[in-house]
Amino acid sequence: MLFKIAWRNIWRNRTRSLVVIAAVAVGLFAGMFMMAFFQGAINQEVESMVETQLSHIQFHNPAFIDDKEVNDTIANAKVIVNRLKQNRDVKAVSGRLITTGMVSSSSTASGVEIHGVVPEDERSVSNISQDVIAGSYFTGLKKNEIVIGEKLAGKLGVKLHNKIVLTFQSKTGDLTAGSFRIAGIFRSRNSSFDQMTVFTRFDDLAAILGTTGEMHEIAVVLKDGQKTNSVARGLKKEYPSLLVQTWTELSPQMALLSGIMDQMMYIIIGIILLALMFGIINTMLMAVLERQREFGVLMAIGMNKARVFMMIVLESVMLTCAGIPAGILFTSLTVGSLAKHGIDLSSFSQALSQYGFSNIIYPVLKQSMFVPVSVMTALTAVLSAVYPAIKALRFKPAEAIHKI
Amino acid sequence: MGNIIESYHLSKTYNPDTVPVHAVNEVDLVVEEGEFTALVGPSGSGKTTLLNLIGGLDYPTGGQVKIDSVDITKMNESKLIDFRLENIGFVFQAYNLIPVLTASENVEFVMLLQKAPKKEREKRAVELLTEVGLKDKLNKRPSELSGGQQQRVAVARALASKPRFILADEPTANLDSVSTENLLEIMAKLNKEDKMTFIFSTHDQRVIDKARRVVTLVDGKIVSDTKK
Repeated sequence: MLFKIAWRNIWRNRTRSLVVIAAVAVGLFAGMFMMAFFQGAINQEVESMVETQLSHIQFHNPAFIDDKEVNDTIANAKVIVNRLKQNRDVKAVSGRLITTGMVSSSSTASGVEIHGVVPEDERSVSNISQDVIAGSYFTGLKKNEIVIGEKLAGKLGVKLHNKIVLTFQSKTGDLTAGSFRIAGIFRSRNSSFDQMTVFTRFDDLAAILGTTGEMHEIAVVLKDGQKTNSVARGLKKEYPSLLVQTWTELSPQMALLSGIMDQMMYIIIGIILLALMFGIINTMLMAVLERQREFGVLMAIGMNKARVFMMIVLESVMLTCAGIPAGILFTSLTVGSLAKHGIDLSSFSQALSQYGFSNIIYPVLKQSMFVPVSVMTALTAVLSAVYPAIKALRFKPAEAIHKI
Repeated sequence: MGNIIESYHLSKTYNPDTVPVHAVNEVDLVVEEGEFTALVGPSGSGKTTLLNLIGGLDYPTGGQVKIDSVDITKMNESKLIDFRLENIGFVFQAYNLIPVLTASENVEFVMLLQKAPKKEREKRAVELLTEVGLKDKLNKRPSELSGGQQQRVAVARALASKPRFILADEPTANLDSVSTENLLEIMAKLNKEDKMTFIFSTHDQRVIDKARRVVTLVDGKIVSDTKK
């Protein structure tokens, strides 16, 4: 009967109760939507990083990571690439030559990282080929073709088919240069990457560097990205002399960002609930003070303090929890729709691309967040009831009965 | 018949440190089982305060109240609540039913506090409401009942816990003459047939006429005690 009384009491002041229920629903929606938005943005960023730059696993000569010296190549790289292609967990493998240098046009110069790639392999490992907005991802018809980012092209003042010169250190330590014709211009989500990275054919770069079949980096994409850690563990054992790193090891800041999203969500929801708590306390306090005489009567006829306390807590929990399904439903419907169509933030594209974020964010709502969020909300309701309940317990029946 | 209520040198003084008001002043009162007693007196004479002290709703500043020889003034608040639940029925001037419960649920509620089984609660609630003439109003909420009907539900609620006695604070003050007559008949019948002890405060001459004992209070003191 306590449940019955508590539930009916909530609806004694329908408008006030509906306002609290709506506040809880909107608060939960705000918190969960915000988290779904950030989760979506981070997921897209991670996906983009993996697909554009990092892949799931990379191999390097351990010395290469520090200074990116031309001579710090992977021994027997071709054999390793072939063996990796046989691995049943591996979807695609691409070997790369990487060096740093200067790119010059007739008007200016810029520092870049030069990637020598085998286009046929690289297409399966990186989606840069899909980001080409002018020309093509290597025609294969001519020697010394180069694919550069739109931002770099703008900086150099060059267009498709223009010639640019790459200057870098060869294997022998001499300064060397090569003239390349722009075969394609790409635009990825990350404008910094676009400005700092150029792609040439593996053989063209090897010829100028003076390397013969050596590689600086082997990028591996797995059939199932979830298995990255377990596959990497196996490969580390198999190639103990090489540095085998997962994308989380290559970009710990991105892994951290992705990893702390859950904690962030609970903190944000917690702050929203804390603000809501004051509203619930206010409502419950009003309800208790309005019913002073009723509480006096209840205590007079024998309702003990534990039951009075429980009744107020029940009212608070029912009132608050009525907003949970509404909040979850509203969030699910909104995020469900936006997950399909995305949130277009084109007007902020420049700022977003600097941080590698897409113009269109597809929010991701984790179903697993519903239970903890509901528990947090219910806990808020219980805590909100404590002060009003203590207030009610302090009523003196003889005085409270005569309150108007 | 044994003594059910005994008060000795019972006093209640408000504002003892500033402007003392002696609401009840050294009252000695003994009520036997089965009595039908009216506390009368002008407003401010201490009727309600005396009922509150006897009913364990308030603590005296002096003296003792014994219910069946148990000194309730020494009990803490929690024990008093339990004691009231098992021993005392209350009827208030303003009915004071729980507005969100039906008549039947209001009566059952006290038995629920006593942890009585559901079937027993339902059965007794119907019996009691039938006894006070509200068999056809079981599922009506207080707002759907007249003042007289609400007060009869309050009497049924007071009886529900099978108390040792019922305290009624001006039970007819808000009722019209027909409802007053009706309520008095019910109370008198319960007193006569079930030997239920009633103590009520009142200004109403019709109620005073029905009482078999009239205790008159003035300025917190008993000035007359008449048995008919």
